[in-house]
Amino acid sequence: MVALDPLLRLRLLIRSLAIQGSFNYRTMQGAGIGFALIPVLARLHRGHGASLAESLRRHTRFFNGHPYLSTVAIAAVARMECERQSAEEIERFKGAIVGPLGSIGDRLVWARWRPLCSLLALLLFLAGTPWWVACAAFLVLYNVVHFGLRVWGLHLGWREGHEVGRALMGSPLRRLPDRLTIPLAAVAGALLPLLAVGLGGTSGAGSFSVIGIALVLGVVGAWRPAVAGRLAVFLPLIASLVVVALGSIVW
Amino acid sequence: MISRPIVAGPVAGLLLGDPEAGFWAGAVLEVLSLHQLPVGASRYWDTGPAAVAATAVFATAGGPVGLLIAVGFGVIVGWMGSWSVHSARHLNARLVAAEGPVAVTPMWLTVRHLAAMAVDLLRAAIITFLAVWALPRTTVGLAELPRLGDAVATVILLVSASLMLGVDVRTMARDRQAWAGFGVGAVLTTILALWLR
Repeated sequence: MVALDPLLRLRLLIRSLAIQGSFNYRTMQGAGIGFALIPVLARLHRGHGASLAESLRRHTRFFNGHPYLSTVAIAAVARMECERQSAEEIERFKGAIVGPLGSIGDRLVWARWRPLCSLLALLLFLAGTPWWVACAAFLVLYNVVHFGLRVWGLHLGWREGHEVGRALMGSPLRRLPDRLTIPLAAVAGALLPLLAVGLGGTSGAGSFSVIGIALVLGVVGAWRPAVAGRLAVFLPLIASLVVVALGSIVW
Repeated sequence: MISRPIVAGPVAGLLLGDPEAGFWAGAVLEVLSLHQLPVGASRYWDTGPAAVAATAVFATAGGPVGLLIAVGFGVIVGWMGSWSVHSARHLNARLVAAEGPVAVTPMWLTVRHLAAMAVDLLRAAIITFLAVWALPRTTVGLAELPRLGDAVATVILLVSASLMLGVDVRTMARDRQAWAGFGVGAVLTTILALWLR
């Protein structure tokens, strides 16, 4: 069996960063998975061009997990290929792992961690921290978890192989999104008054009433998200077009 | 994550000589786009070019009216970017989906995968260039307009950001404990903001 030496591990990790590079509606991340597996497959099928091409063709088929947790699938598939497991078994594994990877990653990263980091950075800026500190805090905080997940996934996938699904479902990652819910909501709540003062302050209107109105509007937004979401986008859009049109007439 | 508005905005602002303006433009766009989750094949704003365009407009026009126009134009550029991403994804399917008697060699796959990334780079560059070149031209002279519209612009931005922050929370956290957290955060910061005022 080919060992996943540190250099090969690093190459898989770097290639996994480009997994969404050719994202498309037909195979989704399929080509990205194939691209990431090239170093392992090329070593396994050295001198056998036809079998390498056949293997790569299989791995460029449909795949759509979470991009940061893709290393779990990449490493597990690499191990299964190294163990010479059958193509059918590997395809069955890939089909089964897509769901857990997508659901855990989407809930944890897109719905919790990214908004939490963004809102924390905004909170820092509105609390008076210099803009570059807020930016740096966002990038560092977010990417610690981002790269941590990728490295952890690579290790877990290689260690567990085709059993990685079971290990993933038993991991703390499943419960982490629920634990981040309250901090996320608290930071969003803390941001609302500061945003009101920050925006209102630009015309000298930052006061208790401005904060009160912002809080009421925040509750309305949460109560009727569909209508409020459209209103929140179209209001500045239409108003800005009106201002520009009026400006061009005046000038 | 450098394409998030709170990063792309200040970086563009730094290049234009006003990073704080970039952060403000990025902050409002960040709040407006936070509920869009890039899950599966979903379509969402291309926030990087949107933040750069908004910063270019805000740095040119200035003031609350300038920020309002910047956010409005940022939304338009975000939509344009979303449409271009959608088109690029269709193009990618033609590039990398191995159909028919094609030998999928490492070279074949690498070249096509990298070509798809190059197309995406070019797409974002074109959208950003068009936005930065064209949009600030429409706002020439607005900085000279009487500041009568500042209060109205502030109210519109405040309404929009507050509503969307509520939508963001509803999208990501729905249970009662989350609402308690939201309330505690809001009350504590309100007291702190009024105390420090």
